[in-house]
Amino acid sequence: MTLADQNQDKTNRLKSTRLGGKMTADYWDNIFTAKERGKHVVWYNGAAMNPLFQAAGLEWCHGEAFAARLAAQHLEEPAQAAGAEYGYIGELCSYARTHLGCAVLTQQTISERQTGVVGVVDQQELAAKLPAPDFFVNGYAGCSTGQQWDAMTYRVFDRKLPIFNVSLPMLWGNKPDAGYMRGEEWEEVSTYAEGQLRELVSFLEHQTGRPFDWDLLSESMSYIKRASELRLEAMQLCTLAPTPATYWDWVASIAPINFLPGNQALVDYFAGVKAEIQQRIVDGISGVANERYRVYFDGIMNWNKLGFLTRKFAEYDVAVVAGRYTHESFWQEPQLIDIDNPLRGMAQHYLLCPLNHGLRNLQELLLRRLDEYSIDGIAFHSTRTCRAMTNPQSMLAKSAERERGVKSFFFEGDVADASFYNDELFDSRLEAMLEAIDVQRMKTLA
Amino acid sequence: MATLRTVADDPVSYALNWKAAHSRPVIGSFPMNFPSEIVHAVGALPVIIQESKTPITEGRSMLAEFYCGYTRSVADQASIGELDVFDGFVVADHCVQLLGAVDAIRYSRPEKPVHFAQFTSAMDDAWTKPRVDGRISDLKTEIETVVRARLTDADLARSIKAFNENRRLLRHFYDLRRSGRARITASEMQLLVKSSMVMDIHEHTAVLLELLDRIVVRDEAPDDLVRLHLSGHFCHAPKPEILDVIEESGGLVVDDDLYTGFRYISTDVPEDGDPLAALSTWYLERNINAPCPTRVTNKVDWDTYLLESLEASRSVGVVVLMAKFCEPHMLYYPELRKALEAHGVQSLLIETEHEGIPIETLRTKMETFVERIRRHPSPLPA
Ligand code: SF4
Ligand code: SF4
Repeated sequence: MTLADQNQDKTNRLKSTRLGGKMTADYWDNIFTAKERGKHVVWYNGAAMNPLFQAAGLEWCHGEAFAARLAAQHLEEPAQAAGAEYGYIGELCSYARTHLGCAVLTQQTISERQTGVVGVVDQQELAAKLPAPDFFVNGYAGCSTGQQWDAMTYRVFDRKLPIFNVSLPMLWGNKPDAGYMRGEEWEEVSTYAEGQLRELVSFLEHQTGRPFDWDLLSESMSYIKRASELRLEAMQLCTLAPTPATYWDWVASIAPINFLPGNQALVDYFAGVKAEIQQRIVDGISGVANERYRVYFDGIMNWNKLGFLTRKFAEYDVAVVAGRYTHESFWQEPQLIDIDNPLRGMAQHYLLCPLNHGLRNLQELLLRRLDEYSIDGIAFHSTRTCRAMTNPQSMLAKSAERERGVKSFFFEGDVADASFYNDELFDSRLEAMLEAIDVQRMKTLA
Repeated sequence: MATLRTVADDPVSYALNWKAAHSRPVIGSFPMNFPSEIVHAVGALPVIIQESKTPITEGRSMLAEFYCGYTRSVADQASIGELDVFDGFVVADHCVQLLGAVDAIRYSRPEKPVHFAQFTSAMDDAWTKPRVDGRISDLKTEIETVVRARLTDADLARSIKAFNENRRLLRHFYDLRRSGRARITASEMQLLVKSSMVMDIHEHTAVLLELLDRIVVRDEAPDDLVRLHLSGHFCHAPKPEILDVIEESGGLVVDDDLYTGFRYISTDVPEDGDPLAALSTWYLERNINAPCPTRVTNKVDWDTYLLESLEASRSVGVVVLMAKFCEPHMLYYPELRKALEAHGVQSLLIETEHEGIPIETLRTKMETFVERIRRHPSPLPA
């Protein structure tokens, strides 16, 4: 293995995802003016509950999404500084820390307006621009931090705003018949979570003072279901080697599938992505020039380092083709959605968050993806402040090696805190893994 | 005390001996809300697994270094076989790091039954109690299977009584300390509570009664000492040397809301009605009596509770003991700080680590803290 050529950008990103970037930017711009437009705003965390908010006529702000956006634009610092000043320790989930920092800033802005002391917070700072919530909804699967984070946001806003918690039990696998989307446990928790969504609908009706629009929910879920099918069909095309699109293109498509409104534009977006990938296959264009290794990415993205890591993997002729976060989340089982009666399928998706499984399910999912995408190696992003993501990683690494002979490496970083990333370690560990893969290949050839 | 110390220091040896003497199974459970009564009632020994003193070796390859000391230690104990004495493991709480550690047990000891009865942690909802009832019923079935014995209501009612009696006695020690009439150091108090988590409950109660007979109860407390409240530290017991330094600096610990402390014994299980249903009632009431930051609720607040405790114990300073990397604590800490500051109560944050912390630095910090309180006494929260 030779050292990577640092100068050449070997990535070839999809063009169609730029439209998603624009749709997402427009979405946030729209959120910032919600109050001026007299809209009710809900802050929520975790599961993609946005179709319910859309049907209830609300504007919605997803905590992790906003923290990720700030980090991706390198604008997270004011929020994190406000959080640190308030007392949040740097080892706390950086999504939570960033978003709580935003809450502190938003709350300060409100009280400054009330006291007439305007201007202490720079209104231009993106972090302070979030409209204050009218209420909160929490539906965090798998991670206790996610749930507690909103319990704290509620307190930052002086315990005055209503909050609704959807409790999503973990898919732990107590019963012998338990597995991914099967077994008695799965059916039972699906019913439990669905019941809570029904309660959430009543809560939303109460908050908005309007009857919930079930037809609108069905309609938006019909778009989401279609968009999801297109996304999965397009992902399937990337099982081909060399891959026409990479994991990074799927990362670029997270925002649209995770929280943009369910409408025709969403369907058109994923149709566009799929069409571009199909065209690439026809034209023989690959996502990474000279793909020599196919790697799976486990961990939440290091949003600060997205472009950097995209180029870096490519420099080593590595095509990152799939990942736990992109491929095991976001309406990834559209057949579960019954358009006429969507609540159960929605509840089931919330339970299928890749952070909500016990180790056994995760092993099953990982092995399936390794086979499907002909993976040579796994990059474990040891996501410093996200224990939900890191919990099973070393055990997954051992399983992959034992069951499929797939090598892996760990690198440090974080979702929204650049300071945890260590570049030297990254290079040396990636190189070591690629060398091990080369040695393995030589043995197979011999 | 010596008996309790031996048990608290080495719960695994105690469990081994108990098992040999009784030829009955031993079940390991985890903090912070597991109802041990249910294991006791089927004739097995319930043991809340403790952080081990030994340095972490094998466990390093299971969980990353940025996990709390307790979870890293549990993963380590599992991988080096130290938990093999247990016939099964049960967990009711869903702290994300704890679940990682318990999965590490499943991974390294696949032959052992590991059951997760997830108690809903959002406490205010109408569906929480029925859901927890359901999990307790599952728990009962699982424990019956592992222990190979049937749980009867009568046995459970007897166990509930036994645990209540033990908790009441421990709370009596707390009352004595709070009043200042008995000098019970923070590390002694920890010993009393920690041993109750791992020892046969009847045996423990007998030792407590003996101790109560022997304890010196004075008329008045010395008033030159700064009365302190210890707050926080979930899941595992803070190291006794830290507690000792806190008191050697001129502070007198009169109360706490530590898990291996008052939080653990705060609430009794109702003794009337259906005993299984009483266990979920206990779970809900416990959070009202001593609000826990790992639970989600709007009805009660840890900060308000803390201020009320300070008033009751006439504490003038708070030492926050935080296990490094403990997320629920890191999330709640700013609210505590805000509430204490608003009431003029001085506080000191001490982060603890499995590997230990530099004791001399801590001593200096503590002495400064106590001195600061002496010079600027904070008003008692009203
Ligand atoms: S720790 Fe991870 S899963 Fe949990 S709230 Fe933070 S980002 Fe989400
Ligand atoms: S509550 Fe804190 S101490 Fe307990 S397992 Fe979770 S992180 Fe560790």
